[in-house]
Amino acid sequence: MDCSAPPAANELDANELDANENGDAMTRQRAFIVELLTAAGLIAAPFILPYLGFTPTTMNRILVWGLFGIGFDILFGFTGLLSFGQSAFFGTGGMVAAYLLTVVNYPNVVSALFIGLIAAGIVGFLVGLIALRRTGIYFAMITVAIAEVFYFVEFNPLSEYTGGENGLPGVPAPVLNLGFTTIHFNTDRTLYVFLAFWFFVGMVIALRIVRSPVGVILSAIRDNPLRASAVGHNVHGYKLTAFVIAAAYAGFAGGLLGVMQGFMPPDAFMFDTSGQLVMQTAIGGAGTLFGPLVGAVVWLYLSDFLQTTLHLGAAWKLVLGLVFVLLVCFLRRGLVGGIKDLYALIAERGVKTREAPGPLPALTPEEEKVTRLAVAKEPAPAAMPALHRKDDDAFSGPILQATGLTKRFGGLVANSAIDFSVARGERRGIIGPNGAGKSTFFKMLTCEMAPSSGRIVFRGSDITGKTVTDVCQLGLTKSYQVNQLFSGLTVRDNVIIAALAELRGKFRLDLFRSVHRIPGLAEQVEHTLALVDLADRADRPVAALAYGEKRRLEVGLALASSPSLLLLDEPLAGMSPAERIEMVKLLKSIGQGRTMIIIDHDMDSLFELVERVTVLQEGRVLVEGTPAEIKGNKAVQEAYLGGVRAA
Amino acid sequence: MSLLEVEGLNSYYEDSHILFDVALNVERHEVVALLGRNGAGKSTTLKSLMGVVTPRTGSIRFDGQEIAGQKSHAIARAGMQLVHEDRRIFGSLNVEDNIILAGLTAPNRWPLERVYAMFPRLKERRGSRGTDLSGGEQQMLAIARALVREPKLLLLDEPFEGLAPVIVQNLLATCRKLADEGQTILVVEQNVSAAMMLADRAYIINNGHIIETHTAQALRDQPEVLHRHLGV
Amino acid sequence: MINWANFISQCFNGLVLGALLALISSGLTIIYGTLGVLNLAHGAMFMLGGYAGWLTFTYTGSFIVAVFAGALFVGLVGVVMERVVIRHFYARPHADQLLVTFGIGIVFVETIRFFFGSLSKAVPPPPPLVGITPLGFMFYPTYRLALLGIVAAALLALYIVLYRSRIGMIVRAGIEDSVMVDSLGIDVYKIFMLVFGIGAMAAGFAGIVNAPVVSIAPDVGEGILVQTFVVVVIGGVGSFPGAILGGLIAGEIISITSMFNPGYAYVMLFVAMTLVLVLRPYGLLGTAGRE
Repeated sequence: MDCSAPPAANELDANELDANENGDAMTRQRAFIVELLTAAGLIAAPFILPYLGFTPTTMNRILVWGLFGIGFDILFGFTGLLSFGQSAFFGTGGMVAAYLLTVVNYPNVVSALFIGLIAAGIVGFLVGLIALRRTGIYFAMITVAIAEVFYFVEFNPLSEYTGGENGLPGVPAPVLNLGFTTIHFNTDRTLYVFLAFWFFVGMVIALRIVRSPVGVILSAIRDNPLRASAVGHNVHGYKLTAFVIAAAYAGFAGGLLGVMQGFMPPDAFMFDTSGQLVMQTAIGGAGTLFGPLVGAVVWLYLSDFLQTTLHLGAAWKLVLGLVFVLLVCFLRRGLVGGIKDLYALIAERGVKTREAPGPLPALTPEEEKVTRLAVAKEPAPAAMPALHRKDDDAFSGPILQATGLTKRFGGLVANSAIDFSVARGERRGIIGPNGAGKSTFFKMLTCEMAPSSGRIVFRGSDITGKTVTDVCQLGLTKSYQVNQLFSGLTVRDNVIIAALAELRGKFRLDLFRSVHRIPGLAEQVEHTLALVDLADRADRPVAALAYGEKRRLEVGLALASSPSLLLLDEPLAGMSPAERIEMVKLLKSIGQGRTMIIIDHDMDSLFELVERVTVLQEGRVLVEGTPAEIKGNKAVQEAYLGGVRAA
Repeated sequence: MSLLEVEGLNSYYEDSHILFDVALNVERHEVVALLGRNGAGKSTTLKSLMGVVTPRTGSIRFDGQEIAGQKSHAIARAGMQLVHEDRRIFGSLNVEDNIILAGLTAPNRWPLERVYAMFPRLKERRGSRGTDLSGGEQQMLAIARALVREPKLLLLDEPFEGLAPVIVQNLLATCRKLADEGQTILVVEQNVSAAMMLADRAYIINNGHIIETHTAQALRDQPEVLHRHLGV
Repeated sequence: MINWANFISQCFNGLVLGALLALISSGLTIIYGTLGVLNLAHGAMFMLGGYAGWLTFTYTGSFIVAVFAGALFVGLVGVVMERVVIRHFYARPHADQLLVTFGIGIVFVETIRFFFGSLSKAVPPPPPLVGITPLGFMFYPTYRLALLGIVAAALLALYIVLYRSRIGMIVRAGIEDSVMVDSLGIDVYKIFMLVFGIGAMAAGFAGIVNAPVVSIAPDVGEGILVQTFVVVVIGGVGSFPGAILGGLIAGEIISITSMFNPGYAYVMLFVAMTLVLVLRPYGLLGTAGRE
């Protein structure tokens, strides 16, 4: 850290650097450094910032926007939901608090603020139920509409409660009665103390949330909602949680605005407010919790500077708009993100050369064949003990039984009346020529797709029509043909997310618990990493992995929840000959004592791995048997070589 | 000079290495088949030729011009056409519009009547929307779209997949006719017998590597070659 | 007691407003359908059309020239915007696309505010269309009547371009499968530029022809943007018929609600949008797979 830089800015930098590596919650145990530095920064600021041209009012406004932005950052930066409607909750919380304090003459400012927070949270919940029905651009559009609706309602039909275009004047200053003295927070300086205190509280809470299992899962949802759901998490529930948290922060900040100004303005509800929040957060850097604060510093300072010092008048917003566009184009992760990237780049240089794995030797197909035969003769690796194995012994009979499974897409029949049964501990392969319907079949087994007719029974219970999430929780997981990883996180975090679902169920609001304190998690994660041979790469970001390593992680995600039944969809897809051999070895060691179903086209490798093979053709089961039987089966040969006889 | 000369082609799907130093040639007026199991890289090869997938390294010389790395529309204008594996008919347009659209930027486009002469069934269905066509009709339309542009090289990606045997026979006859008229074709197929009825020569690809190449006659004489690489 | 003349008048207003919204939303929806980008600067483009037209009118005195100038100027702005900025965002996450179009919208609005101030400016309707027209039992502003015709003509023109021209065929094919269009020898990036331009032009045209009704100000685009979004959600994203249907529905909802209580117009719109989201998540005429 450069100590010659202005101290306040310096402190903020340190906060960001330590708060999140790559925007996730996996910090080292010196977690409280962030909180301490934040406190230090907040205490030092009023002594330093005025010399840089910050007026007391500006500093107070920065804190309010910063707090407003913490919740928004959890929603946008961490969960990936870009909402343009936060002004609705900002205004709601502010108006409720102001109304209580002015019209109803409710005596206590702080509890009025909390009532405003609760009101905003409830409204957030109801709005979230509607808005979260869709994702992506629909979500963005709906939030814009929400912002406008709230503004209009506040301005017109409810104007007797909200003061319409006049707002609610006369919001009292908070009072703190300490017995021997009473403090009135009614000057800029005292208000600063009040606001800084609540900002600090809000930040501490946010840091806890972000370091909790919920926080980690939110990051997973941002990166890959499909996989987050497939490893057993109730994605919709968590999104709604993030939405409510953002609304609550917004509501409290809105109340603080009223208190700070002594007056609750109607423009809190304006769409401009939402827009300003979005821009500030993007400028500061989303996903850092401090980004909105930094963005507010830039925005409010520049708007002052541009208007008063440069006398640009109304053009200040134009300049800020241009700054915003330029940042979005060229500094994608905002100012804080840019600083972190720079830091990472410098730190990376030492690490990179040490840790890069040696590339696997390039093998020609002939060499591959020879190596494969040699490897196949090696003794099987010692079976790794399974951890937290689900109580397989409670149920006897086939672990999976599908009867009459059919899938139709309009007029096309992809799977037709398939009967399929796998015994516990069996290793089964599924093969078939193109168009056989293998992927569709797999998708039905994992409940990614509902069958048109038929039944699937897993460990004695009917899972037909259930969701992927539920089925994963019951112990059936899949590793995907195309890697579905949480690409913005480290290897360890990826496994943690998968393991969390098993240990906590599909939805739990343990917002204040540190993810490091979940009993059994570290064990489960280390065990899984060892199983897929990624223990020494655990702290690397996914982007830094070689393709073969990513494939192993892909399998690791499916393994992390100790499934009773593991489905592998083309685990060898796109692998070089050398990577193929490594993966076969790995799958053999994983396969010991575990029930697996594997689809792949690499016959040589597949037949090494499985005891029994099901052959599909044109949506039906053609034949089942041992690899040797299948190899010698004439019908199978014909299916592969072409079914067209010259007429 | 061959019409198509491919050397050292390496293609990736994101960071998954699919094609390893693929090399092949296609001479004018010949029909070449690319045979291999699923996942061997057959489709990726055709897509790399057409620019739908951008190869990472390698050279593709088409009619004397280096086209590796160019955008699809430029490659199409150079005279190559790909009939995609999933046909990719414009469902919201009718049959005739699909054909007209295909020919818009082709210097020597086929007149509609010539297309309909080759595919009378399409003429019957000329006003039907793409989504209302059967699988066989869609395949015909996909091929017709490619032919309208009078491509120097026609790439067919699994043209017979998922079609009833009668339709396959029909399509096979049409392709045979095209080949006889001198159309250069590179066909990827898992249905080996159908492919061998068309092809003069075949490459065998496995796990992204070109393994062998044989003439059609040689493969007929030694069926165990196919069994070894394509069978189970 | 309902004043029937008033009611009919409002329904008519709703029709005019609906047609206008349909035109603007069509622009937004074909941009999204083809490029996959939600243009948050669309409202600002509506506003720009009004100002470009007003400026032209101030210098030429001709309303017709003003309309053409307004539409063409915004069309050009759209083309430049796609070429210079949007093109580099196709591979970037959706959030970034939203942020950049949002930012550009702000820049448009603030630029206008900088040059022309915040106060609204009146744009008079062309002389032949000034005043009111008797329509049997009621009187109706002549310009608004003409506006309905003008916008309907514009929608018809858009329809002809989209459904009866070669370029429209390419655009519709591009909405479905832009990779395949490229494979057929058509430079899809050029199509994207054209579509963005057409979409922008629709908004700009609407902006100037509507100016005599509501006058122009830097902030007019904001309300329009919201209404456009509601239309698109109701009608279905990427669907031109959906934009028309959604537009008419939204226009009528706003007008008729305003008759009873203007403040509730937005609330009713929102209720309608929510109903559609719950009952038909992809919009009344939309298709699954377009998110």
